[in-house]
Amino acid sequence: MSIRIAVGKGSCGIAAGAAALSDALAPLLESSGISLGTVGCVGMCWLEPIVDIYENGLLKARLVHVQPEQAPMIAQAVKTGDFSVIDPLRITKEDHAFLEQQTRIALRNCGMIDPESIESALDAGSYQAIRKILSQENGMSPEDVIECVKISGLAGRGGAGFPTWFKWNAARNAAGDEKYLICNADEGDPGAFMDRAVIESDPHTLIEGMLIGAYAIGAQEAIVYVRAEYPLAIKRLEYAITEARAAGYIGKNILGSSFSCEFRIKAGAGAFVCGEETALIQSLQGQRGMPQLKPPFPAESGYWDKPSNINNVETYANVAWIINNGGEAFAAMGTEDSKGTKVFALTGKIQRGGLVEIPMGMTLRQVIFDIGGGIRDGGTFKAVQMGGPSGGCIPASLLDTVIDYKKLAATGAIMGSGGMVVMDDSTCMVSMAKFFLDFTAKESCGKCVHCRIGTKRLQEILTRIVAGEGKDGDIELLEELCHAVRDGALCGLGQTAPNPVLSTLRYFRDEFEAHIRDKRCPAHICTDLLHYEINAEQCKGCTACARKCPVYAISGIVKGPHSIDQSSCIRCGQCMATCKFGAVSVS
Amino acid sequence: MKCQCAANPSDLSLLEPVLAEYADIKGSLITILQQAQEIYGYLPTDVISHIAERTGSTPARVLGVATFYTQFRFQPVGKYLIMLCDGTACHVNGSARIAAAVQEYLHVENGGTTEDGLFSFSIVACLGCCSLSPVMMINEDTYGSLTPAKVLEILKNIQTKEAAK
Amino acid sequence: MSQIHITINGVSCVCEEGASILHAAQQNGIEIPNLCNDDSVRVYGACGLCAVEVLDDGSGRAIPKLLRACSAKAMDGYVIRFDTERVNQSRKISLELLMSDHTGDCRGPCQLNCPAGTDCQGYVKKIAEGDFHGAIGIIKEKIPIPASIGRVCPHPCEQNCRRGMVEAPLSIAYLKAHAADRDLAADTYVPETTPDTGKHIAIVGGGPAGLTAAFDLRRKGHAVTIYDAAAQMGGMLRYGIPAYRLPKDLLAREINEIEKLGVAMQNNVRLGKDITLADLRSQNDAVILATGAWRSMQMRVKGEELDGVMGGIQFLHNISSGEGDIPDLSGKKVAVCGGGNTAMDACRTAIRCGAETVYVIYRRTRSEMPAEELEIEESIEEGVTYKFLTNPAEIIGTNGRVSQIRLQVMELGEPDASGRRSPIPVEGKFEVLDVDLVIMAIGQIPNVDGLDGVTLTKKGTIEADSATYLTNLPNVYAIGDATNRGASIAIEAIGEGGRCAAVVDSALRGDIKPYRTPFYSKKTVTPDNLADREKQPRCQMPVRPAAERAQDFAPVNLGLTDETAIQEARRCLECGCHDYHDCKLIRYAQQQEIHPERLDGVKNTHETERKLVCIERDNGKCILCGLCVRICDEVAKQGILGLLGRGFPTVIKPEFNRPEVIQICASCKKCAKACPTGALKIIG
Repeated sequence: MSIRIAVGKGSCGIAAGAAALSDALAPLLESSGISLGTVGCVGMCWLEPIVDIYENGLLKARLVHVQPEQAPMIAQAVKTGDFSVIDPLRITKEDHAFLEQQTRIALRNCGMIDPESIESALDAGSYQAIRKILSQENGMSPEDVIECVKISGLAGRGGAGFPTWFKWNAARNAAGDEKYLICNADEGDPGAFMDRAVIESDPHTLIEGMLIGAYAIGAQEAIVYVRAEYPLAIKRLEYAITEARAAGYIGKNILGSSFSCEFRIKAGAGAFVCGEETALIQSLQGQRGMPQLKPPFPAESGYWDKPSNINNVETYANVAWIINNGGEAFAAMGTEDSKGTKVFALTGKIQRGGLVEIPMGMTLRQVIFDIGGGIRDGGTFKAVQMGGPSGGCIPASLLDTVIDYKKLAATGAIMGSGGMVVMDDSTCMVSMAKFFLDFTAKESCGKCVHCRIGTKRLQEILTRIVAGEGKDGDIELLEELCHAVRDGALCGLGQTAPNPVLSTLRYFRDEFEAHIRDKRCPAHICTDLLHYEINAEQCKGCTACARKCPVYAISGIVKGPHSIDQSSCIRCGQCMATCKFGAVSVS
Repeated sequence: MKCQCAANPSDLSLLEPVLAEYADIKGSLITILQQAQEIYGYLPTDVISHIAERTGSTPARVLGVATFYTQFRFQPVGKYLIMLCDGTACHVNGSARIAAAVQEYLHVENGGTTEDGLFSFSIVACLGCCSLSPVMMINEDTYGSLTPAKVLEILKNIQTKEAAK
Repeated sequence: MSQIHITINGVSCVCEEGASILHAAQQNGIEIPNLCNDDSVRVYGACGLCAVEVLDDGSGRAIPKLLRACSAKAMDGYVIRFDTERVNQSRKISLELLMSDHTGDCRGPCQLNCPAGTDCQGYVKKIAEGDFHGAIGIIKEKIPIPASIGRVCPHPCEQNCRRGMVEAPLSIAYLKAHAADRDLAADTYVPETTPDTGKHIAIVGGGPAGLTAAFDLRRKGHAVTIYDAAAQMGGMLRYGIPAYRLPKDLLAREINEIEKLGVAMQNNVRLGKDITLADLRSQNDAVILATGAWRSMQMRVKGEELDGVMGGIQFLHNISSGEGDIPDLSGKKVAVCGGGNTAMDACRTAIRCGAETVYVIYRRTRSEMPAEELEIEESIEEGVTYKFLTNPAEIIGTNGRVSQIRLQVMELGEPDASGRRSPIPVEGKFEVLDVDLVIMAIGQIPNVDGLDGVTLTKKGTIEADSATYLTNLPNVYAIGDATNRGASIAIEAIGEGGRCAAVVDSALRGDIKPYRTPFYSKKTVTPDNLADREKQPRCQMPVRPAAERAQDFAPVNLGLTDETAIQEARRCLECGCHDYHDCKLIRYAQQQEIHPERLDGVKNTHETERKLVCIERDNGKCILCGLCVRICDEVAKQGILGLLGRGFPTVIKPEFNRPEVIQICASCKKCAKACPTGALKIIG
């Protein structure tokens, strides 16, 4: 009987204490014959740190919210075989349902294998697809590969949803011998982290997907452009590349074939716009990451003006599965318009936040309520933000919208890279629109007029609205400017920057009107529009609020009713948070 | 490469191994700048000029690239760089309150450094740890599910550790 | 390369296959607006101004998105337009966005404040260079009678002159008069005229408005006839302004220049008496009414009908039309009621007619007087007595003739809507003056005889459209003192004359273009911004001594010397943009109606800097098209300019702002030449 303990050590797991836990376990298991290993992120982020105990390769127990001080308990359990001591740590049935309802392709190995061990990956089936393609007897030609991807219906998972085979085919047919295959791992959408999770948890699946792509288009070099903010992902990917090279999957004459491919990692340096493919190429070339006019498209003239293909991490992570299982198997999942599965990063005011991979065609309600368990802390669902700064907010009335590229686009949001930020009724939608415009205005590269000045002006108008200085006509001006920026901006960042404003205006226009006309924030979020008051009858005169107030705006005698001097109040809300008697109210 | 933040910004020889490896590979400017920042903690003017000269570029071009990316700094930073995430999830879960707590406790503005040079504070784009929101990174360590009280505890621990040295 | 066929704005074009739409248009002589494109560098696509709509891609389908003409390739059969509603709207917003972060003055405050929009900075610069002839060329674009206007104009141009923040405004009006005097003296400027159009225009009234309209329309090739009721042309300039301010022969010579251009002038023809409006309309393609405001307004006080009570205009007209027959007022006491320039002309004329005492009755105080300060000053020097804070209450007569005037004493109350403190009677307080003559100079209204069928305003003026100058009658226009708000200063009438001429010209060419106030970028300048300027005193116009000039109607002013004029002109701060005439940004901005103020927000602030050998850089005017950076990089191969930062605060800077840059710059000036705005200025 062999027992293996695996601690989930993605960045989130580590941040939640997985490294400390692992450190605590290691000495306790020394010379016990029980192996202690690392796995990546299984995507149940709200349960971190997570410890999996395998017996003869089968999952015997999954323990959640494990703290380092519980290490001895675990060691005792595995050593004695009496698992009852750790029963309180076991994942609940409800939480486990989070995984059971998913269909995992891109995330198939995440949290299952050791990302720092190619053997572990090989055991899980990595590199079988490239072996199949390159096999002497019944291999696949590049055209076969592209055809298979075409049948699968795989579309770009980075946001645009462009058919993958089409890009590959264009790059394959472009003139020239020197071609590049690039992976966009510059995951910048706030609220999306599936790419990080894949690289940190299963780097070989990415490498294999890229190898297949490189083979298909005829590239000899593959480059991964990763955000510098993902140090662990970079580290694990670097290591995986080294291992893959040693194992003969990278380099000259891979697996004895005529196919050669080198791999390189390039760390980004902090610019959201570099997620745009032409900007990414500029950045790869060591230049300012400013988008370029298309045409020419990268497939004709990209990295160093050579034909180049760019896909994101999740897209590549599906490729090997498609080759292994056939395009038809992938296409069997999903809707008429969108095939296969999609990974979502479910976050915000959600019970169970984490990574969710589901077949296209599920409804938002199924993902948010059935898988995610609905709103946490007893709140009421208000909207879900999809597609980050390029997307929009979908209101409760559209929760039964089916997840597919077209249906989501029809709501004014987009599929995007899969960020799904759930909001409850304590969220001010105007302030959310401002948040996204703050983001895009800051991330605008500054090249084209519409984005450089247009997003700035949009942001300024929203800023004055949340500050209670909105004017009649501001909504119309926002709309006009949004349409102009959408039509006139040079790249995707600018063209989609107005979406968060347009979609909130579409579904939550009354909130804009309340801010502008009534100088009122219905969600009680916009501090400039708040008004705190102490109810004299409920106030016990305990003076707690007066002592807490940072600007000494509260006065009153001990045991007597207190009051707030509105002219000096900064509306920080500390009084309300402090009061034990519910005497402070906000309006 | 280990950060040698105390490196003398005018000691250009420290950069030599980096330049030897990358100066002649076209398109390596960002990599060179990243490594230079690892060495000096920021990008001093002399270093930028030197990189420009060695890569056959000009300071205007190099500075143009460096100022485009948020990763690059042109002023020395504190020993501990606090990067507070303001991604959507963190924003919705109250990153503004965490920012206020840090700023009040350390008396530091966004983008600023404390007087003792121990901390720099910067509000950054999504760190991709949304499930632990609100989140911050201090150097390479990530801290999640923050509350104002938890942040103060983390900062105080660092201060205590430093004071003990 | 094979040729393809496309249509741009309805024009069939042939171009090389593979050409961008922008190039295809260029090859066919069509300019699609663009700011960031230059053939010497790679396409960039920043400005978005070259957006075009493809209504048919050759297969009968429209392309849903707007295309950037600089990068989109022209394809055979494309039907392209860049004048559709959608494209115009897109271009309009691009320009509004650009202007909302553009800090600069297209034109100086002098020109912006001139009712005729005269390019003051332009002609002052010519004068500073000693080029008086060149100066007149610029002036006559707007003012056909500059020697006269330079003498009589209350020069609103000087009011906001920023030199005033240093020490004193430039003496712009006198500079104009000086240049015009020099021009009349020798080698008089003759403007170019376009070939005859065969169109006929009748102008009723030969005052400044009518003369200007005639001058401009004649230059545009139309046949113009001015009809005037008086014996000579010039209107108020001839009959309202006294000769000591404007010598009559000088005015006549300037009018003669207009006549020489081919403008027919018919005097002693009164509308409604000698000729009817109907006649003029039937004989001409257009009629412009510029009849002026010749009736003095009544004061509505008892005794106004007495002998010895007359209107200011009537008084001045009698003298100036009398051709030397000047009334003898010696020993007489004269009361002039009013505080405007007509009152000044009347009181100073009365002094020159020998009056023993001349009172100016004005209900407010000196600081509220609408008359020019210099006029008040000079009138006091000449012996005029001011009765401030008084208002005529009754004119008292003896045997039907004026003998006294009773004045209500006033005090100043709260400021009214215009900001002036309104006078209120002090109850029961009166003053009585012995007078022989009372001149009412409180305003003028038009005489509308002969304007049959023309709609009038409530004030009794002709109602004319503010953008087309059209009256209710087709092809009948009206301008000047006779219209709308009524009488104003000459330069206002000249401005209307010029603008109306442009409208009439466009109408006669078949497509009426109403006047639209052109958009100009403006910036705020404070005295602090000018603190480093060396003080240089304003030139003084030499004048004859008061005692001497009060005796006659010879000119008060003696004129400037060339040296003084040149020195004065050199004081100009050149506030307006050096690049105005070549600036693509303002050219496009003025082609459509833009309102950048609705997008007002934070602007980037930058100091002007002189960092390269021969180039001054004003980042406030920079639109980040990147041309200078790209040209320095790709063409000059220098790479000394860089885009710094990103997003809204992006700025173009030479490296580190270091002095060494000055040496590295090859002074090729290619960057400045390519700059589509005035952000880069070649200074050496």
